[in-house]
Amino acid sequence: MKTDVLIIGGGPAGLSAAIETASRGLDVTIVDEASKLGGQLNQQTQEMRPLPSVYEPMRGFELANKLIEQIKDFNVRPLLKHRVVGFYADGSAGITDEENVFPIKAKKIIVASGAAEKAVAFPKWTMPGIMTIGAAQILINRDFVLPGREAVIVGSSDFAMETAMQLMAVGTRVKAIIEKQSEASAKEQEKVSELLRNGIPFYFNSFIKEARGNGQVEQIDIEMPDEVITLNVDLICMDGGRMPILDVFYQLGCSFGFQEELGGWVPQYSNTFQTDREDVFIAGNAAGISTQGALLLTGMIAGISVSEELQTISPAEANEMREALWKELGLLEYKEVYSGRVKHLENFTSPVLKDQFIS
Amino acid sequence: MDKTTIICRCEEISCEEVEEVISNGGRTFDDVKRITRCGMGPCQAKICTSMVAEIIHQQTGLSPSEIPLPRMRMPLSPIKLETLGTNSTSFSAVKSVLDEVEIEEGKVR
Repeated sequence: MKTDVLIIGGGPAGLSAAIETASRGLDVTIVDEASKLGGQLNQQTQEMRPLPSVYEPMRGFELANKLIEQIKDFNVRPLLKHRVVGFYADGSAGITDEENVFPIKAKKIIVASGAAEKAVAFPKWTMPGIMTIGAAQILINRDFVLPGREAVIVGSSDFAMETAMQLMAVGTRVKAIIEKQSEASAKEQEKVSELLRNGIPFYFNSFIKEARGNGQVEQIDIEMPDEVITLNVDLICMDGGRMPILDVFYQLGCSFGFQEELGGWVPQYSNTFQTDREDVFIAGNAAGISTQGALLLTGMIAGISVSEELQTISPAEANEMREALWKELGLLEYKEVYSGRVKHLENFTSPVLKDQFIS
Repeated sequence: MDKTTIICRCEEISCEEVEEVISNGGRTFDDVKRITRCGMGPCQAKICTSMVAEIIHQQTGLSPSEIPLPRMRMPLSPIKLETLGTNSTSFSAVKSVLDEVEIEEGKVR
């Protein structure tokens, strides 16, 4: 199979990149392992804000539907329930539909592989009933399954705060938020205040000493600064932060840098969202963990750069559009993330890890 | 986290086993993997990579940027051999692991 643009990952970044490229007449193929486009947006019932100026504020799943609606007008081929398993020597992607493996040769590849959640290890953390916050959100909003009746949440990022509210909305009693630092890590204090108003206690400088249970979690000990308390729970949601998914970049021979604010190891890329491999572009959380609005902007920039490379727009037009989008990114993204991104760009020519593929 | 805490749930590798590799000079995820099988189960190190890096950081004081990424091989996620050896005739199969290694004058480059 041949295509102009192969987009790996059909979440917000992949879809916004698809809109930018396909709307300029390019033939676009999106590969996604899920059965529906939209990625994590599909189970996000919280309001997405801020979004780029072309979108009015809406909930995550509404945004997913809006993006999917937009690509319908163009020449976009979504390959759902398909995975990338590797690459051929000639640069074609090896795609599987779980029955066959077949090559797709693309002029340009945009990798929007997204982020993976990190777990938090404590004794017995592998017991049933203990999962990441993202997993709990999938259970309640996508599968309509109650993951537990009495929960604690370990970690206090914005995403954890949102998931705590959603758990309460479906009738799970959130007994505590456990945070090892001395304050909540959520950037939007309003979310923390909302939980406090609902009477949810925050245990700071604390961690789970041990979980216990017969076949599934039933009880936990929480180590606090001057005491250990025991709670009965049947659900523990772990929020260990998120990191970019890198395996596709690794296989493509991309170089990597390290930027704490972006989630750790991140592929090297320039202000056009081109990696140090000529035909490979990057978008979304893979280019640094950020908010949904920012992810859309990174997808738009990558899409514009690919359109420029494939000569459907002039370099002058592309530069002008990119400049405007970068300006918006600077306004819309959390300051720490944006400054981490700028630092990462400055180190483009001096990666920490390179030539990893052949060791 | 205590010594018995599982780090790699696929291969049931404990914190103690990871620490032992580090005390014997292990400084990367792949060092730990080669000695213990940590990260070699069905999930292919998708959960334990960051935990092992964190333990290496705590035990040795190396900064996270000094602890390299593990090697990420094909296939990127588990696939049935039957699927990989697909019956299509237009090509043989996905590039094998051996193709990753380039031999120069009888030695791995």
